[in-house]
Amino acid sequence: MEDKKNYTGPLMIALQYNDLFDLDSISTSTDTDALPNGRAFTFIKAVQTVNERLVEQNKSDCLLFEVILISKECSEEIKMKVDESVKHYGLEIGKFFFCKKEELINTLQSNKVKLFLSTERDDVYEALHTGIPAALLYDQADDHVLNQLKVIFSGDVIGFSEDSLDGLSEFGFSETQIETIKTAKICMKEFAVLIGQMRRRFGQENSPLCTCVLTSWGSRNVCASALKTLREWGLDVDEAFCLAGAPCSPILAVVKPHILWDGGLLNMS
Amino acid sequence: MSLDPVQVMKGQDPLPKTCPSASNGDSKASWDDNKDIHENVGSTKKPKPPKPENAVTIAVSSRVLFRTEKEQKVFEQKGIEEYLRYQVEHENEPFAPGPAFPFVKALEAVNSQLRKLYPDSEELFDIVLVTYNHAHVGIRLINTINYHNLFIERFCMTGGSSPIGYLKAWHTNLYLSADTEKVQEALAEGIAAATMFMSEKQIEVSETQLRVAFDGDAVLFSDESERIFKAHGLDKFFEHERENENTLLDHGPLKGFLEVLGKLQKKFYAKGHRLDCPIRTYLVTARSAASSGIRALKTLRAWGLETDEALFLAGAPKGPMLEKIRPHIYFDDQMFHVEGAVEMGAIAAHVPYGIAQKYPHKKSTNTGK
Repeated sequence: MEDKKNYTGPLMIALQYNDLFDLDSISTSTDTDALPNGRAFTFIKAVQTVNERLVEQNKSDCLLFEVILISKECSEEIKMKVDESVKHYGLEIGKFFFCKKEELINTLQSNKVKLFLSTERDDVYEALHTGIPAALLYDQADDHVLNQLKVIFSGDVIGFSEDSLDGLSEFGFSETQIETIKTAKICMKEFAVLIGQMRRRFGQENSPLCTCVLTSWGSRNVCASALKTLREWGLDVDEAFCLAGAPCSPILAVVKPHILWDGGLLNMS
Repeated sequence: MSLDPVQVMKGQDPLPKTCPSASNGDSKASWDDNKDIHENVGSTKKPKPPKPENAVTIAVSSRVLFRTEKEQKVFEQKGIEEYLRYQVEHENEPFAPGPAFPFVKALEAVNSQLRKLYPDSEELFDIVLVTYNHAHVGIRLINTINYHNLFIERFCMTGGSSPIGYLKAWHTNLYLSADTEKVQEALAEGIAAATMFMSEKQIEVSETQLRVAFDGDAVLFSDESERIFKAHGLDKFFEHERENENTLLDHGPLKGFLEVLGKLQKKFYAKGHRLDCPIRTYLVTARSAASSGIRALKTLRAWGLETDEALFLAGAPKGPMLEKIRPHIYFDDQMFHVEGAVEMGAIAAHVPYGIAQKYPHKKSTNTGK
């Protein structure tokens, strides 16, 4: 399938530093120790693996991941610790930004961030609501560093028609929530197009990038609609799940994604 | 009691070239999509799938639910890229029914009866498609489910990763697959599982009564007695069974499945449907009624389980009996028996458990147990 516009810049992903490092167990007595790993650790390692494999295939490939760290204002001491720890673990972090909470959205927008990842659902939905592509960084149970980056797209957000999404108000979703879901779909599309381009650099087997669709509420036809739409956007996903109302957590625990695009529709009960 | 035998769709029937493709989410289909939302609130035109822990979950793979021999060949001969391309090219051609298809249809028939009697209960069969296939085949599989009007809303297409974790996440009560290795993995995790095979000959099965038949040793019971027989011969086997008549046999991999079937049966009995219960179970064993069979019956009774019919063949071939019963599925641990049944047109599944897997049956011996 021909790429409509061949985007060749970096795919910028923003993380919050408290997802990257576990700040709760900072011990000020040991200044020289690096901060312990946080939830985003396996994500960063997986992203680096993808980049390595992309460059292996084509040295001049510009469509690579770039990770930047954003954090709310903090002490100089912590800023230094973050800097040191990043060096210590050999993490490839493009830039650091320290800003006030109110400036978070602006900072993301001005840096043309293609994805804001956070374990905080509220931060994610707030960002989505203002049109910034944002997804959940899935809190993985174990620290196994997978050599594969896994992305899940919500089959409900992509597969439901506009009218069905409006109909969600009957099921207790607020106006704001419904608007956020619709915005999420637009954001997902842009991201899916880029991931699709990346995914096509690799074959079916042994790919460092694995894409999935997860339909939480929708029927099998909604899932089929999501699969077709993603294909139109240039992405043929590897795995597909349809839950028809069953709780997500047991399935997610097996899939173990890094990036979870849900737009607020997942059944996490 | 009368049966309503219906011609099972033979695999060779020509199917129409295309089938209605799944909705593309345009606004035309808008209000219909609302029934696509399965939620607690609001009315839904389709019944809501039950919570996995309340239901009897049957996980089937795509290769046993449907016939995919042609596609398998493409995969084996030309590799995965070509296989996926072929599947996408033929996306609008539904697959023909596979060996597990009549069983799944029968489960749905039982569900509709259960829903009539207990409209608020979640104790139903829930059929989940758990396949090793890539999501590229997803649209074709969904089109096929639509074409055959199956009530399957849940699936996992694992894109090559092991399905075992998903089986556990779905609280699977029974897993059916074409792949013996995966079935063995499931058995090792304590999940009832069996391998199914397609045959060209298919005898008719009932559309209104689910019939499930079980072999005894190494299926409902452990393989302990089988071991004695294999190691020390028939006489020793008889002696051992006689001496241990009052000792319960240990349980086998399919005991749990018989148990959940029994629970559903009791729901029908409670509403006065004992004689015409839509679920019927059978024990089909090579043991003898007069001797070694007693230990089997005593064990079942002690477990609080029963089968509607117990057929003690004393070593006689199982084929004719299965032809009479016409089960939607018959579980046996010995490939020899499964092959014989399938050749005759009965639907049989192999449970790769126990000592029989190490010692293939010698055709010349006519064993009487």
